[in-house]
Amino acid sequence: MRTLAAPASAAVPARPEREARVRELGREIAAGQAAAGRSRTRVLEDRGMELLSRDPALKAALFRLVDVAPACAGPRELAAHLAALLGEVERPLAPGGASPGRFARTVVPLARRVSIRPATRRAVGGVAGVAVHRMAKRFIVGAGPAEAVPALRALWDGGAAASVDLLGEATVTAAEADRYAQRCDEALRTLAEAARAWPSRPRLEADSHGPIPRVNLSVKVTALTARVRADAPELGIRDAADRLRGLLRTARDIGAHLHVDMESMDSRDLITELVIDLLHEPEFKDGPSAGIVLQAYLRDADEQLDQLLGGYVSAARSTPLTIRLVKGAYWEHETVEAHQNGWTPPVFEAKVESDRNFERLTRRLLGARELVRPAIASHNVRSIAHALAYAPDTRDVELQVLRGLGDDLQQALAGMDLRVRTYCPVGDLVAGMSYLVRRLLENTSNDSFLLSRSRGQELDTLLAAP
Amino acid sequence: MTTFINEPLLELRRAPVRETLADALATLDAELPWRVPTIVGGERRDRPTFTSTDPGVPIRAVAEVTGATPADVDAAVAAAAQAAPAWERQGAHARAAILSRAAGELRRRRSTLAALAVRECAKPWAEADADVCEAIDFLEYYAQQAIALEGANGLVQLPGERNSLRYAARGVVAVIGPWNFPFAIPCGMAAAGLATGNGVVLKPAEQSPACALAVVEALYAAGVPPKALSFLPGEGDVGAALVAHPGVHTIAFTGSGAVGLEILRKSTELAPGQKHLKRVVAEMGGKNCVIVDSDADLDDAVPALVYSAFGFAGQKCSAASRALVHERIADALLERVHGAVEALLVDQAERFGVDVPPVIEAAAQARVNAYLKIARDEGGTVFQPGSAPEAGHFVAPSVVHGLPRGSRVAEEEIFGPLLAVQSVASIDEACEIVGAQPFALTGGLFSRNPATVERVSRALPVGNLYVNRHITGAMVARQPFGGNRLSGTGTKAGGPDYLLHFVEPRVVTEDTMRHGLVV
Repeated sequence: MRTLAAPASAAVPARPEREARVRELGREIAAGQAAAGRSRTRVLEDRGMELLSRDPALKAALFRLVDVAPACAGPRELAAHLAALLGEVERPLAPGGASPGRFARTVVPLARRVSIRPATRRAVGGVAGVAVHRMAKRFIVGAGPAEAVPALRALWDGGAAASVDLLGEATVTAAEADRYAQRCDEALRTLAEAARAWPSRPRLEADSHGPIPRVNLSVKVTALTARVRADAPELGIRDAADRLRGLLRTARDIGAHLHVDMESMDSRDLITELVIDLLHEPEFKDGPSAGIVLQAYLRDADEQLDQLLGGYVSAARSTPLTIRLVKGAYWEHETVEAHQNGWTPPVFEAKVESDRNFERLTRRLLGARELVRPAIASHNVRSIAHALAYAPDTRDVELQVLRGLGDDLQQALAGMDLRVRTYCPVGDLVAGMSYLVRRLLENTSNDSFLLSRSRGQELDTLLAAP
Repeated sequence: MTTFINEPLLELRRAPVRETLADALATLDAELPWRVPTIVGGERRDRPTFTSTDPGVPIRAVAEVTGATPADVDAAVAAAAQAAPAWERQGAHARAAILSRAAGELRRRRSTLAALAVRECAKPWAEADADVCEAIDFLEYYAQQAIALEGANGLVQLPGERNSLRYAARGVVAVIGPWNFPFAIPCGMAAAGLATGNGVVLKPAEQSPACALAVVEALYAAGVPPKALSFLPGEGDVGAALVAHPGVHTIAFTGSGAVGLEILRKSTELAPGQKHLKRVVAEMGGKNCVIVDSDADLDDAVPALVYSAFGFAGQKCSAASRALVHERIADALLERVHGAVEALLVDQAERFGVDVPPVIEAAAQARVNAYLKIARDEGGTVFQPGSAPEAGHFVAPSVVHGLPRGSRVAEEEIFGPLLAVQSVASIDEACEIVGAQPFALTGGLFSRNPATVERVSRALPVGNLYVNRHITGAMVARQPFGGNRLSGTGTKAGGPDYLLHFVEPRVVTEDTMRHGLVV
């Protein structure tokens, strides 16, 4: 087996003459998205989301309803929550909070009265419960790995690989950490067993480095230990190491890819050091295929990448490290926490700065392709087109999208014969709720690319360099 | 007026920040023990009579302290009374500038001071740093508030008369501080007295005199006149002499309920020669309850409850000591709380990431253990996993449930790492239980129903209610802090009306008619 070397060249420089190619690819992807079939319900849901995004107070109320739905004992309780939450829409409490829009002023009082009235309360609660369920199903592919297999197979047949993410309660005890590790282990084995029967898909199963595992599991380190302490990463590292080591062994033995997700800043150092440490262990020198995440919204993402590349080179492994480049999903958390504590936020405050950093980091990853398999995870067509335009070989770029949000994008990219992987949450509704709320917020956030598209913003504007 | 901004906390998640603190601790260790003198009107006497020690390593002396004598009390009160008028005449702006400068002194020494609290009070780093920040906040906030108070005149004016309202300093403030916030609380009470133009005599807790000295040094360095501020380390007798002194006008106290009640009683006795009523600002104990409704998100509630109960070994006035949990989720919550307590790190305060440091002294250790014995004797189930280091006043964190109605463990203040959990049939029952308690300091509620939040916040008598978060860590100007009922005199430290307790309002009405004309 060969050993990987340090990146020979630095980042691929930005080249103005590539802009035309970026736009060309962008238009091609957008055309593919437009052609992707959307079901009638999906069109209605998207329209609903768009409406919601115009009404922050109502959006807040409905997201809080989605959040609490699994904890309600029945329709009556859910209706009581609905009534109380809608009451807040009519009469926002917090100064500076969301203010009621037109929809909130007209329809909401009616809905609230209906939810309070004993005669209709049950029915309203029932409808709300069904709606929450339906929304959840859009984003969650199955209650468990076995239940998810048909959906994953359908993706495979449609030209997309998957990365499975097991949703669950937060880990606050060692027993919960053990349980999560156990579930991950079972998922790896279940998926490996099922995927063996799948037909060959050369585009999804190899790049210029060699074969790419069919089975790909994303794991959360904060679910592998109850000892995440922002001021003592060593505690979490020590506590999570055995569990993550077990998963790496299973992945190696069955030939799966194990991807470690990145979360908030409080666990960033823990996760980075833990992954690098474990990949240095001799038993993992030749496997499994492993990956980590780089968050472009972090002001110090470059140092993070230096640390990853430096750490990985010295591990002298024979397979490249997959680095999933994302913008980052904890922007509000990081910003709010920083402001409450008087810190400079670790994230860029303007979205355009994250977009710009994303492109720069994309070029750095492409420049390090001896060592790294870049995975570009974004729904921003410009960001994707940029990566493709700069890639010396598009076979060596993986494009990742989220189930439920990036479905039409996935179709468009697969249609262009590109390597697509869809991030697929698996789990029950209760456990998945915080994930769901995060995705819904992302979908309806004001500067979301998806929303701008659905509002019919000019494609050329959206494809302009950030 | 400038908007108040809290002093930024240290970003301990950054490794270089942690290194700075570790270095500061090493430097401090080389200096220990500090000498802590008695300071009367600027005159220092340094002939140590007692020692303050590290609760984690009781043989380590943190400070050699000179205890104050009854003569010191008399001299300190006399000096403060003598210096106060000139200090008041400097005006709010000048006094505020000095307090703000003192804040700067503390800011300059932040790492050292945090290290000192780690040693003298076994405060874990994050809590120790927050303590220093809060002391800075009090200085800056009361400085601003004093300026606003001087400029205030909200009276109705009619032609022919001029009405003015002025807030005069009351005279001499006796500050009696606790050890659990060894910088912030004595500093806040002293700053309130000084900002409003009073002379101040500070008696720190005998467990934390070195921390209090750092506050006093900062105030002197900033320009507080030496006679206007005295520093009297010592035991309870010094505090008692101060409280009984006829020259004291205001007593600002934070500490136990028993001492607080004694101060209130004493303060009403008129000593020979005393020509005024004493005012008492007292912040006392609590039995803080967290209510968890059936719709709560346990992913949030469990860590928040555990942090509220066991952070700094449960030794905050605001700490949670009783959880009232809806019966539908009580078993699930208890199981997760048990597991979360197992995952707590019990170790020396200087170790980063420590959750439960030692308690302050051997007596505190014995007290918590006595309550654990009561819990067992009463038939309660005690869950106390793990062990604590041998040396040091450690008590491993424990969770108790199945206590009988009226159990002392569920109703008395313990001030240590012990949480009593009890299930309730409804949130209304939980509110009744809280409402029947004599204490009303802080409380917590976990619910995702805005109607429940509204109902509970109206029903509970507590001074500070925290919803869907931990119940400790009140921030100056954002969460003014203080309790009601037997928890205190209802005053709010770090709030917009706190300074009013240190002044007396005086109204002047002048007739402006001369010979039938308004002049």
